[in-house]
Amino acid sequence: MLKSADDGTLTAQSQPGGGLERWVERHLRYVMLAPTVLILLALTIFPSLYMFYAAVHRISPNPDLPWEFVGLGNFARLLSDAQFHVALRNTVVFTVVAVTVEFLLGLGLALLLDKFIRRLSFLKTVLMIPMMLPPIAVAITWKLIYEPQFGVLNEIMYRLGLPLQAWAGDVNLAMFSIIVADVWQWTPFIFLLMLAGLASLPVEPYEAAALDGASSWRQFWDLTLPFLKPVIAIALLLRVMDALRLFDLVFILTGGGPADRTKVLSLYIYQVAYRFADPGYAAAISLFVLFVTIVFSTWFMKRMRLAD
Amino acid sequence: MMTTKSLHRRSRTREVLTRLSAYLAILVALILTLFPIYWIAANSFKFDIDIFAVPPEWLPRNPTLKHYEQAFIQRPFLRYALNSFLVAVGTTIVSVVFGTMAGYALARFNYPWQWRKQISFWILSTRMMPPIVSIIPLYLFFNYFQMLNTKSALVIAYTAFNLPFATWMMKSYFQDLPIELEEAAVVDGDTRWGAFLHVALPLARPGLAATAIFCLIISWNEFLLSLIVTLTEQSQTLPIGIAGRVTQYNTYWGEISAAGFMACIPIVIFAFIVQKHLVRGLSLGAVKG
Repeated sequence: MLKSADDGTLTAQSQPGGGLERWVERHLRYVMLAPTVLILLALTIFPSLYMFYAAVHRISPNPDLPWEFVGLGNFARLLSDAQFHVALRNTVVFTVVAVTVEFLLGLGLALLLDKFIRRLSFLKTVLMIPMMLPPIAVAITWKLIYEPQFGVLNEIMYRLGLPLQAWAGDVNLAMFSIIVADVWQWTPFIFLLMLAGLASLPVEPYEAAALDGASSWRQFWDLTLPFLKPVIAIALLLRVMDALRLFDLVFILTGGGPADRTKVLSLYIYQVAYRFADPGYAAAISLFVLFVTIVFSTWFMKRMRLAD
Repeated sequence: MMTTKSLHRRSRTREVLTRLSAYLAILVALILTLFPIYWIAANSFKFDIDIFAVPPEWLPRNPTLKHYEQAFIQRPFLRYALNSFLVAVGTTIVSVVFGTMAGYALARFNYPWQWRKQISFWILSTRMMPPIVSIIPLYLFFNYFQMLNTKSALVIAYTAFNLPFATWMMKSYFQDLPIELEEAAVVDGDTRWGAFLHVALPLARPGLAATAIFCLIISWNEFLLSLIVTLTEQSQTLPIGIAGRVTQYNTYWGEISAAGFMACIPIVIFAFIVQKHLVRGLSLGAVKG
């Protein structure tokens, strides 16, 4: 894209107009960028600095008491806080399972539609609806479906002669229930990106492969998958980053229960900050989450580019 | 002995079978996608007693608008919906206007010391920050400026994550437009700003529409920040209103189904409006640098 970039000097000499107008014209590349940069600086630098500052203090719920400097004390607490370990484990389990299932289903569905139904874009839009719905509406929808007494799912279990379950209220099934709802909402996202990727595949290699008599299975492994790799990488990265910050579904469906089985990091931070009124420690956990997100995404992006 | 003809027939049968199972799989996916949406809609039209019916009523036998009346007339869900709408529109205007300008600048201009790449990446990285990280400082920030429980606070907070998205989407859109037309305008005596305004912007209209609709959807759906920043009816958004009716002791199923379904409707309509740009919009913003 370097070719199309210019430095604004193209016009600097010849333009009429007042002093301000000319100044704007000459510095257009900065003027156009400035509002966005300033807004984002204000909205990200302040929170980040504050988080670092808060994370090294013990902050009393009583606003009249001064903050007590505790150094790395809050971070040390992370090591021994059993609830934090539970939340971390739940977040990892949720992220790995949900994103894997979403990826496989989304890719499979995209391949099916790309191969068998190319024309009906209406159908594709219908399949993408869940990802656009408010997560809160999705959460209450699944709450209704999971309802142990009058929910649809138990009705289906009953008809199939299977034991009824408490689903989101069951110690062993709560995480499963959250994952199913998340898969329902976010498989369409993977599906969408894969469709976009498939639509931009070149035709010639496939023609050549078909001439060589390569099976469609071979074509998928040797052509489709390598071509899709950049899209797959981005899709997975975005989904993992979103999964790490899961909040709405858990907040409505389980509240982190039963027995902390679905307590994920976002929910734990929320509880520490607002229910336990310990914002200093919450800041420390937040920084940990931020750190993990940055390390993971940097590592992942590097790896994906290196392998290219 | 097997003739080539029967071999041929057999592979034809296999092909038909594959095709049938593919259609079947797609049909199952469609049903699984649509049933939950149908179910919340169906329940919003049932009387409470029918919501609790065992076995469940697959079709509302006795349809009623009672819960809509309850939610939108007796309880302040209309207010919540209006708040959601105003905040979404405000956020979208701010994000699209500034995001388009920044996106254009990053697509077209050179900056000293490779700033272009650095700034692009930095803008994207602000999007990666989990919102839970910034809720406490944002809360204190708005508290300090006495902006808690205001819609402007929500617009500011939502802009923080919509602006990077809008910038990146418009940047990739402008990169796809040929620069020659703008160059021609400049040669004809237009200013650089004029070329942006009169040439590039009209060409980017589809991208603008898609970006705006995605910003609207993201803001309309947002929950966590609104949960932290707003506590009063005057400022709370639809998702917060819905969540407020799921209490520890009681869940007002009919009411939240009605409100939840109403929250989904504009989104579904939007989805079909941007249908054409959906794949391009969402994937471009994310996939292309």
